[in-house]
Amino acid sequence: MNMAPVRQSGAFPAGGTEARTLAFLADLSEALAVSLDLRQTLAGAVTRIADYMQVEAASLFLLDPERGGLECRLCVGPVDLTGLHLAVGQGVVGRAVAENATQIVVDAETDPRVNRRVDAETGFVTRSILCTPLGTAHGPIGALEVINRRDGQPFAAGDAEILRLLAAPAALAINNARMARELIEQQRLRREFDLARRLQKALLPKRRRDGFPLLGVNVSAHEISGDFYDYFDLADGRIGFVIGDVSGKGLDAALLMTRAASLLRWAGRDGLAPAEWLRRVNEELCQTTHDGRFVCALVGYYARATGHVCLAGAGFPPALHYRGGDVTELPAHGPPLGIVAGMEFGGHDFDLAGGSLYAFSDGVTDVRSGDSRLGASGVRALIARHAGIAPEPRLRALIVELKRLALVDDTTLLLLEEPRAHAAEELLRLDFAADAGRLREMRAALRDVLDRIGIEPVLRDQLVLAVDEAAANVIRHAYAGAPGDIALAVRRDAGMLEFELADTAPCVDPARLKPRDLDECRPGGLGLCLIDAVMDDWRLLPAPGGCGNVLRLRKRCPRLTEEEE
Amino acid sequence: MNGVSCESLDGAALVRLAGEVDLSWSQEVRRTILDALRGAAAVGVELSAVSYIDSSGIAALVEGFQTARVQGRRFVLVGASPPVRAVLELARLDRVFVLVEDASGLCG
Repeated sequence: MNMAPVRQSGAFPAGGTEARTLAFLADLSEALAVSLDLRQTLAGAVTRIADYMQVEAASLFLLDPERGGLECRLCVGPVDLTGLHLAVGQGVVGRAVAENATQIVVDAETDPRVNRRVDAETGFVTRSILCTPLGTAHGPIGALEVINRRDGQPFAAGDAEILRLLAAPAALAINNARMARELIEQQRLRREFDLARRLQKALLPKRRRDGFPLLGVNVSAHEISGDFYDYFDLADGRIGFVIGDVSGKGLDAALLMTRAASLLRWAGRDGLAPAEWLRRVNEELCQTTHDGRFVCALVGYYARATGHVCLAGAGFPPALHYRGGDVTELPAHGPPLGIVAGMEFGGHDFDLAGGSLYAFSDGVTDVRSGDSRLGASGVRALIARHAGIAPEPRLRALIVELKRLALVDDTTLLLLEEPRAHAAEELLRLDFAADAGRLREMRAALRDVLDRIGIEPVLRDQLVLAVDEAAANVIRHAYAGAPGDIALAVRRDAGMLEFELADTAPCVDPARLKPRDLDECRPGGLGLCLIDAVMDDWRLLPAPGGCGNVLRLRKRCPRLTEEEE
Repeated sequence: MNGVSCESLDGAALVRLAGEVDLSWSQEVRRTILDALRGAAAVGVELSAVSYIDSSGIAALVEGFQTARVQGRRFVLVGASPPVRAVLELARLDRVFVLVEDASGLCG
């Protein structure tokens, strides 16, 4: 291997050739780059730098991001400075960092930059100092200092050049190690947050679909939300419910939330009056929560048999009782939980009376829309606008609207409402002559409406086929060639699609309509089989008024109501 | 557009259907298929341009299939389009019919 020609240079007067310096630099860089234990490698590096530069002492100072200032982390020589703390700008080292510039002290005895305290305390005699900052793209992270050339000469510009070269790989290695540590810390935090989030989700009750009157929705803009809700059955048939909000965000809030949620559930199980329920939880929380955090909560019971609701709030935004277009605000009478022991909490008793009880963790009544409060009338309008739709899409629609108004980004809603039959929405009404030539346009209209509500194509085509078969049957069998009309209506009721075909033909005996066995291969009777295969159910009824027939076909399409689940 | 036509191919007949086959003209489809069966040892019904078919159209195909079987002739559906296949599957007839990709399989 050819060596680069050795070039003597005035830049390296400290007794080494350029080639020797470069070889040492390469060695040092590699040692630092491959190091698994940076602290040990740095210690070795500082020793080697001291030997290479033929100096009596060397030390490495790093900025302490937590305490501020500089701390001596490594030291070689007769005096151990490890742990010595300096302010940035103080002494030669502090100045090298503050100015991000190499400092050369030719005569330590007279140089005003030199802090002579160490010498005074240890008896060491500092003659000459050289100090260079450890530079990174974001400024210096510390400094490397050498003291007293062993040959007694003061440090010169050439020495400064060498130290600067040697400081570069050290700075790089330290900076990389710091960034790696930060990355690991971030990953650890993310794992912790993820765990906390899953713990929180696990605390929320499972959605109950058996016509249960309570529904909770939690929309969180943050990884960890301080919100929670709960509901449970009591032995006496009543249903207990809880909604709460822990102050602050982050892991501490999440831990308090889990504790508060457990306490509220525990106390609610006893069937205590809501005010007493809150009082008991407040006492418990006050004994253990001292860091200024608190919990806002609303708790209550609902008796399905009587429609009676009793509830109490602790610093929670007013619950809203919506009934027939009117909104009653039910404010909390007590302060948040976990602040002061011995508090009393007042409650509300009322009859749900077929209405709905809304509890929003973010206090929709308090929130602002631009400069103006949304206020009770705004909330009333908002709820009224969505009152016609099924509970879950309604809650989601409310949240979407509140978000659009930039009123909330993180909220939990609890809705208490007896399930009811919601008014069906008519999607299509089409009257046409009972003539096979008109079926094509009926199918086109049907395809359009099913596309509009987002029915996927395979199901859409099946539904079109089934309704077409039904209409063909009306034409062939009910009217049997006689002229007449067919009225088609398509309705959506929550997740149910209903297709109704009304005719004015002579009444058909439903018993005559019997699909054939599909495994039998013959041309006739296939239409009813297709209808059976596609629809969930169908029935033929005499039309009201005694003239004609109404054929109703129904298909459940759950995705119609739960797009977001 | 709706359409039905019949062409002969060395002793075989190919009935071409297009458009939406429904109650309004499925009788015409039925007659064309039965006529084709009278003059050919093998009949194929080409369905690649059929965008919709109802049970009366399927019934015409079933009748053709059964007539051919009684007479010992070959009856195949050629290039059934996805909408046709969907209805055949729904009626569980996809395994009753012989389905081929193109008319070259007509005599095989």
